[in-house]
Amino acid sequence: MKFTAEQIIDKSAKWVISFFIASAGLWLLAAALLAYCAAAKLTDPFFLSTFEFFTYGKVKIAQANAFVYGWGGNSIFAVSIWIIARLAQAELRGRFLLIASGIIWNVGITLGLLGILDGHMNAHEMLEMPREIWPLLFISYSVIASFIIVTHRSRSKHETIAPQWFILASLLWFPALFIIAWNGLEINPARGTLQAVLSMWFGQSLIWLWLTPFALGVAYYLIPAITGRPIDKYYLAIFGFWCIALLAPWSVVHHLEGGPVPMWIPAIGTVMSIAMIFPIAVASTNFHATAFKDIDIVWNNLPLRFVIFGTLSYTISSYIGVVFSLPAVAKLTQFSIINEFHFNQRVYGFFSMIVFGAVYHMLPRVTGKDIPVGAKSFHFWTSALGVLMLLLAYLIGGLTHGVLAQQPSLDWASSVIASIRPYFLITQIAFVILGLSQLVFVINIWKVLFPNPFQFLNNSSNDSAKNAVA
Amino acid sequence: MAPAKFDGMKDDDMVEIHSNLGREKHPPTKGFLVAPLIFVFGCLIFVCSIQLAHSTNSFQVHPPQEIVELTEEEKEALRLERKLDSGKKIFTSKCASCHQPNGLGIATQYPPLAGSEWVSANPELITKIILKGLKGEITVKGEKYGTSPAANMVAVPINDREIANVSTYVRNAWGNSASEVFESDVADIRTNTAGQNEQWIGEALQSEYLSGASTE
Repeated sequence: MKFTAEQIIDKSAKWVISFFIASAGLWLLAAALLAYCAAAKLTDPFFLSTFEFFTYGKVKIAQANAFVYGWGGNSIFAVSIWIIARLAQAELRGRFLLIASGIIWNVGITLGLLGILDGHMNAHEMLEMPREIWPLLFISYSVIASFIIVTHRSRSKHETIAPQWFILASLLWFPALFIIAWNGLEINPARGTLQAVLSMWFGQSLIWLWLTPFALGVAYYLIPAITGRPIDKYYLAIFGFWCIALLAPWSVVHHLEGGPVPMWIPAIGTVMSIAMIFPIAVASTNFHATAFKDIDIVWNNLPLRFVIFGTLSYTISSYIGVVFSLPAVAKLTQFSIINEFHFNQRVYGFFSMIVFGAVYHMLPRVTGKDIPVGAKSFHFWTSALGVLMLLLAYLIGGLTHGVLAQQPSLDWASSVIASIRPYFLITQIAFVILGLSQLVFVINIWKVLFPNPFQFLNNSSNDSAKNAVA
Repeated sequence: MAPAKFDGMKDDDMVEIHSNLGREKHPPTKGFLVAPLIFVFGCLIFVCSIQLAHSTNSFQVHPPQEIVELTEEEKEALRLERKLDSGKKIFTSKCASCHQPNGLGIATQYPPLAGSEWVSANPELITKIILKGLKGEITVKGEKYGTSPAANMVAVPINDREIANVSTYVRNAWGNSASEVFESDVADIRTNTAGQNEQWIGEALQSEYLSGASTE
């Protein structure tokens, strides 16, 4: 039997991708569990309160780290390995080292989360894992990213296209951000206000320069790959790319509005956030002008439905983010739960939805086995419902919170907290729905990756199981 | 162009097609009108510049201090207020244990300062007493004090400025109203009495400074 070029590439990457996707799924479940615990603590402070490991501060931070580094990191590796190898038309290099570094990455995050729950937290945003863990994570990340770049370097065509720019840039920007932040916070600690600014800048830039460009790159790949149409107004994509590269690290500092920092820092942040309208508009035009030419495909093709949900969510809430960066509005929303809206929108509504789409597109091609449509569809609708509930609760609750907190005459506990408590209850329900949908997702992918996990117990069915794996 | 089929686009084609799209030269008017676009971008850049100009505080670290111009009278009032504040602090720490925070002293033990003719007389008197201390019998507001040696006052070891501040405070507190005492005058008295190691004798000072008053 003769294989096509694509099948040879998929075969070369099969075990690496399976490893990363399987571990990403487990991290997703861990994060869902921690997210529920954190949400439940806001409605019932006595929930799990007898366990020192599960105080709110620890659980909340552990959830963010499990989500961004566990689920985010592993799924970024899996999906970028596949897309980069496919677009380069080259077989994956360094499979053994990739899996070895992947194991180190996951062990590192496990130890890091245990460290957080144990109280050995590092006081910097998104760098909370104990500082001994970071060299481990950095080295394993570098090895994985290097082999993806090596695969890209052995591409058959010299020219590169939009998905490659975005994905490779996100792979390179994470270590760059990390080195800048680690140098300024740990090696040569900056003094005074600068440390807080740097810490906050890293936490936000991580979302804007690691998760976001990656998800945009995946959308740039999947939309033409599924619809069969080239990206509409493709010549704008390069403009959007450089706009994100230049503006995003500046724009994130608008979160310091009203903080004890020199006034020009939030002012620049606001201006750059307004300028972020350009890349948002470019990405939105590229994606939606292409996909909505065939509304049927968007509706009927599940991976594409996930991706378009993600890009729509990106467009709408990025514009909302621009509005919230204006000083007049930020005054209201600065110290409210609207910050949760931004984080959860990025990671659940945008990044995760696009990665789900990419995994559903990729896995049948890599493993040769299909995922039942019903299960995928159930996952989509529960995710969409959960994300919408979560984001609306944080958005409306955050506005209520911000407006009420501006009125010093109101009693804090009986008026302000009481009026946002229902929104916390909604987020708690949303996290249950999201947890359920993520469980379905993990079962879907694990059933494809390991169709017969107990075959070693059952020698009589050994032969058929072997055939299924091969 | 690849046909718009449901089974999508092959990766090879995708790279090929998009590379060609990237190489293609686009006349700027293709797809949309250029004038509204420039207008919108221009407005955005204008709004951004206004925002920057208004809110960056010229890229300084701290917001500028407000400069307040005071008239001569206001400056004088401020100086006197500060002097009295300082005097009050010195009084509380050095004097109030005997003369009491209300300046009334303790009957038969420590003479009062409130309404005392010793305090409001010539400023030299109070300065000399603070500088060197006081012993012997005295009469204050018609009462006799200093009959026992335990109530003698010792010299207070503070500098000229502090003596000026605390005397000014005492001479203007609790209903007293007398002239201000200046640091230079205190310094003069200190040099003039530099040779003296003993406390002042109560009767001597009383006859020197208060003879005109009807204390007998």
